[in-house]
Amino acid sequence: MKKVKVLILRTAGTNCDFETQNAFELCGASVERLHINFLVNNKNKILDYDILAFPGGFSYGDDIASGKILANEIKNKFGSQVEKFALSGRPIIGICNGFQVLVKMGLLPESELFEQVSTLSYNDSNKFECRWVYLKTEQKSNCIWTKNLASVISLPVAHGEGKFIPKDKELLSKLNKDNQVVFRYSTKDGKEPEYPLCPNGSAENIAGICNKKGNIFGLMPHPERYIFPLQHPCRESSGSEYGWGKIIFQNAVNAVK
Amino acid sequence: MFSIEIFTKSGFKDSRGGHVLADIVSLGFNCINKVGYCNLYLIDGKLLLNEAKLIASCLLSDKITESYNIAKCDGKDSNCSFNNNVVASKTMIEVLYKKGVTDTVSSSVIKAVKDLGINKDIKVKTGHRYYLSGKFSKTVLDNIACKLLANTLIQEYKIKSVK
Repeated sequence: MKKVKVLILRTAGTNCDFETQNAFELCGASVERLHINFLVNNKNKILDYDILAFPGGFSYGDDIASGKILANEIKNKFGSQVEKFALSGRPIIGICNGFQVLVKMGLLPESELFEQVSTLSYNDSNKFECRWVYLKTEQKSNCIWTKNLASVISLPVAHGEGKFIPKDKELLSKLNKDNQVVFRYSTKDGKEPEYPLCPNGSAENIAGICNKKGNIFGLMPHPERYIFPLQHPCRESSGSEYGWGKIIFQNAVNAVK
Repeated sequence: MFSIEIFTKSGFKDSRGGHVLADIVSLGFNCINKVGYCNLYLIDGKLLLNEAKLIASCLLSDKITESYNIAKCDGKDSNCSFNNNVVASKTMIEVLYKKGVTDTVSSSVIKAVKDLGINKDIKVKTGHRYYLSGKFSKTVLDNIACKLLANTLIQEYKIKSVK
């Protein structure tokens, strides 16, 4: 069977690349972690892979705004290759800082437009929020990454700038209408949360979105930090021997096989 | 030298300003009504105005939630741009690193400006501006600046009147 090839893009300040690599490898993929400087000099290399991952961390120290410098760098130096990869329908994931990069680069939510139309801004608390949260899975979403999940799952968040803000109400309605909202922060029983269950004050409690096609997925919580029940504070599992995060990575690997 | 102020657009929450106000109140000063927060970037080099605008719009500000003011300075002082849009304010406290203290954000800005395709030698200083409205004395402002807004070991502050 074909071995799925995953590229994890890293740069100064990336710090979740190893966990992301472990998650993909556990799902049967072959993973390479490449520094952005290598890709700048080998622009077409990116097209050799089946899946592209932007891991979490603090790229360039979160200076100016989280993900902003990396988003500009990618877009200016090999944006056309990333756009080509995205439009080919291959899966892309942006986790936390990676989500901020995807949004600020303009790959989410409208990958065809490739322009920034929404943002992830400072948490309402103006603090770094780090805890486990509940996420309501939007069952109608066509995101290829989130099949076979329960209606409410749990994942950890750790961010200072995770408040999702679309440019206007029309865009928010469009995201809902096109089923591009994938995760919303919720209570344990799937109801509307208040702070601290919603850690940042996101519009309509949005925690993760995908593009219209469903291949590009960005989320603030960290699925790579819940692969095994041992990582959960109550040692809970997803009903199998793994945590919910494993299912998310497995979905993408299975979609490519 | 260009002075670039980044501020929250109206209609969006200025989280930092709101929390600074809460901290001021918790220090026991009830004379401040509102605080508006701005990031400040002082960029020195042979930049053209349209290059400074490109840096402000594509790099330093968020297209959705933030806007910017640009002013040209004489190079000695950043006392050149006062933004009356932030808060109806006549007083502003500006906080900058002291000379000799490493400004790590400045190195990131210099790298990111090059990524934008502007290959000019520039120097960058970063800082913060807090626009305050209310009735207060200079002593109160000194107290707020020393106790809350500036770490006076490595930062210096100036209290300025808004023009």
